[in-house]
Amino acid sequence: MEMAEKWEVQVRRGSLELAILAALWDGELYGLEILRTLAANCALVVPEGTIYPLLSRLKSEGLVSSAWEEGEAGHPRKYYKLTANGRRRALQMARFWRSFSANLAGMLEPLDKEER
Amino acid sequence: MAESETTKKIDVYLRRLAGALQGLPEEQARDIAEELRGHLVDKISALESSAMWSGGAAGVDAVFARLGTPEEIARQYVELNGGQAERVQVAATIRPPLRMWRGLLRCVRLGLAGLLVLVGSLSGYFVALSLICCALLRPLHPHSAGLWKIPDAADDLSLSLRMGFGSVPPGSRDLLGVWIVPIGIIAGLGLFFLTVQFGRWRLRDFFSQRRARAVAAF
Repeated sequence: MEMAEKWEVQVRRGSLELAILAALWDGELYGLEILRTLAANCALVVPEGTIYPLLSRLKSEGLVSSAWEEGEAGHPRKYYKLTANGRRRALQMARFWRSFSANLAGMLEPLDKEER
Repeated sequence: MAESETTKKIDVYLRRLAGALQGLPEEQARDIAEELRGHLVDKISALESSAMWSGGAAGVDAVFARLGTPEEIARQYVELNGGQAERVQVAATIRPPLRMWRGLLRCVRLGLAGLLVLVGSLSGYFVALSLICCALLRPLHPHSAGLWKIPDAADDLSLSLRMGFGSVPPGSRDLLGVWIVPIGIIAGLGLFFLTVQFGRWRLRDFFSQRRARAVAAF
């Protein structure tokens, strides 16, 4: 497998937070479900272990809340959901992301000609 | 594949994790371990029920590998915790640090040095508060609040910081006059800040020593 470049890793890591908040937009999920959503939607392949410390940080920042729920799995699962603050922050980050990537895409136009 | 073998692997993984998570509150460490156990159990049972599974140990090992080593995960949790401590410290310079007091009390339980730090901090806060009170009360008690030189039988230098409740002994001299207001406030706030810094410095020292000891023991 090709080693991911440092920059690629950083971009991925930087956007992971927004991707997690977006994954939780429609309701509560547990860690593995979040990972599956990320892998299915945006090929955000990260070492799976990184998501748990990150969720814990989002929780300490008050962006998500968590609760243990006994399910049909036979063991409790820790479900995460967005707080009101988290929803606000997600919208704010999404807005920033869109304008940022639009600006960057504009800058990349000269490169497009080269590619073609 | 024997189920007990998988369970044993999970236990070994979580024991390594618990070792690496030392320094985090016990309850949080247990919470993390439970969450990761759920992750491993879910992934392994999904693997076992998939049609591709041949029954070998390689697939199970890959589940652990994708999660990352316990040390890696623990490092991320501990780094995160350090981030939190920093945020708390920033808050501590603004508000009287409740959390710091809890830390100091824990430190006291460990011996005389801790007790001295606590007494030092208490005196610092007390004098700082007195200076500020004195400055604020001066406009209300213009003839008695302030820093006074009080005559003594042996003619020793005897200073008294008075809030203005009760009268000043005759023959006393008001050393600062109205200057007590700006000087008291500035000196009081300065001392308060220094005391907070002192407490934080001692605490950091204390905890880094303890962490070093924990690492050595590990």
